[in-house]
Amino acid sequence: MTSSPSDTEPTTLSGYADEVAAAVGGTGEVTFDTVKVTVESAHWEAAHRTARDELGLVFFSWLSAVDWSNEVAVGDPPGEEVEERLEVLSTLSDISEGRRVTFTTSITKEAPSIASLVGVYAGANWHEREAHEMFGIDFEGHPDLSHLYLPESFVGNPLRKQYPLLSREVKPWPGTVDVEPMPEGPSEENPES
Amino acid sequence: MVMDQDVARHLSEASVSVELETADMTLNIGPQHPSTHGVLRLVARVDGERAYDLKPVIGYMHRGYEKLSEVRTYPQITTLINRIDWVSGYANEIPFVVAAEKLMELEVPERAQYIRLILTEMARISSHLVFMASYPLELGAATPLFFALRERERVLDLIESVTGGRFHPNFNRIGGVKPAYGSGSSTRKMVQDLPAGFFAETRRAMDEVLNAVDELESLVAGNEIILIRTKEIGVLPPDVAASYGVSGPNLRASGVAFDLRRVERYLPYEDFDFEIPVGENGDCWDRWWVRLQEIRQSASIVQQAIDGIPAGPLQAKVPKVIKVPAGETYVRAENPKGEMGYYLVSDGGSAPYRLKIRSASFSNISILPWILEGVLVPDIIAIMGSLDFVLGDVDR
Repeated sequence: MTSSPSDTEPTTLSGYADEVAAAVGGTGEVTFDTVKVTVESAHWEAAHRTARDELGLVFFSWLSAVDWSNEVAVGDPPGEEVEERLEVLSTLSDISEGRRVTFTTSITKEAPSIASLVGVYAGANWHEREAHEMFGIDFEGHPDLSHLYLPESFVGNPLRKQYPLLSREVKPWPGTVDVEPMPEGPSEENPES
Repeated sequence: MVMDQDVARHLSEASVSVELETADMTLNIGPQHPSTHGVLRLVARVDGERAYDLKPVIGYMHRGYEKLSEVRTYPQITTLINRIDWVSGYANEIPFVVAAEKLMELEVPERAQYIRLILTEMARISSHLVFMASYPLELGAATPLFFALRERERVLDLIESVTGGRFHPNFNRIGGVKPAYGSGSSTRKMVQDLPAGFFAETRRAMDEVLNAVDELESLVAGNEIILIRTKEIGVLPPDVAASYGVSGPNLRASGVAFDLRRVERYLPYEDFDFEIPVGENGDCWDRWWVRLQEIRQSASIVQQAIDGIPAGPLQAKVPKVIKVPAGETYVRAENPKGEMGYYLVSDGGSAPYRLKIRSASFSNISILPWILEGVLVPDIIAIMGSLDFVLGDVDR
């Protein structure tokens, strides 16, 4: 590293996180140089409108979700027990100083529904269509939630943790083999071999 | 007189019926069309010479990398993300490894960072040269292709000499870059990290690229047909671009000096002098012009980096089995096509719990229904080409 941002940035970043959180009525934190502001799902659209109009966060970077689930059909279950929920995330940026904020909120898996951001950021359209097909989230007020990537006949939400990865079901991935030392190569324990 | 009235009525009816007969036509472009750089389908309603209600249909190349990355270990994922934007495969790896390094709190050696930076800028040059080759071709001018691809091959040869791959280098490791063959990652004995003569060859290649950029400029900028086809065509206002998340050269062509190399710290760009070229009108011409200037800036950055590259190791000390501590971060980088970023959620395991891939072309072409509303049919190709997208970067 030619310059170490860790000495100076956390204070300014956490100050900025508090400033954004106060403006939109949420709680702010800084996680590994990412300003993350948690808002209530009912205030999702209003928070983005405030961010765009009052905080200058005019650049819509992306919107997606995380399925927090203790039961997984593929991959490893989470390291610690998590609260079952869908976390919706969006990232905005300003285009003068380049500051960015990740907004987050949680919705239940029983009623996965949240207000659409299409009225605030036109670019949210495709991102919400993707999140709709991948996670099964309904975006209220979205003009057209048809499938984006998947065929219209596709059933299921592939990025949900309980959705199986079919190729993995057919043939297990030989992941454990990969980390064993090569037969003739040097190993960490015995570098001279 | 009676007859004249009849004729007049008849004529007026005829003109009415002519207007009624103009019916809208549905025009289908793609999924396989040379201007789509992959498989993209556009469905437009055409009224006479103009296109309306355009609908892009994507997903033909969706490979499900976000799901796949949940069952791959971190070192395996770089082979996947290489193939997102295959025109600049090297640059895709950077934000991902930086995100993992951030969660692991690794300090990447300076020399490795400089090598990353040199190769990223060379990937930018080769990506922009593909645009310099294909865009005039789409407008009917074939000659610039030969100039641009000749130089691109030079740059790709150099990338290959370091990484072993022209398109899919898979050269980054978490904690640094791949040690050269024979150097031995575990013994940390460095025999040789870059091929012999790499710096001299690169310096020469950058001079050749700068010459070719001059040639391209005189070929294209002096071409009246290209000027007519691109000036004031496909104007993109900065506020619309930002709300759609259009980034990179497309945003800068609209007059916004927003470059993530200046605002994010994923590579040591603060050590270098370079300018951010911006356009004035945000039309197709400005998007071409901005990319041409960026090649010049990138060549200058590469030359500065060669002059200032420090000696030292290529790898931070990392465990043999990489497990990333629990945490979340978003790392984005200025890729040739625009903002590319990874939102990495780790639960402490050897594979990400969730990896959201933010690719530039996806947002860049989400503007198509807006920017192509009511344009002339031949301008569809001119505008689409000027956005410089790759379908692998759209579909992921």
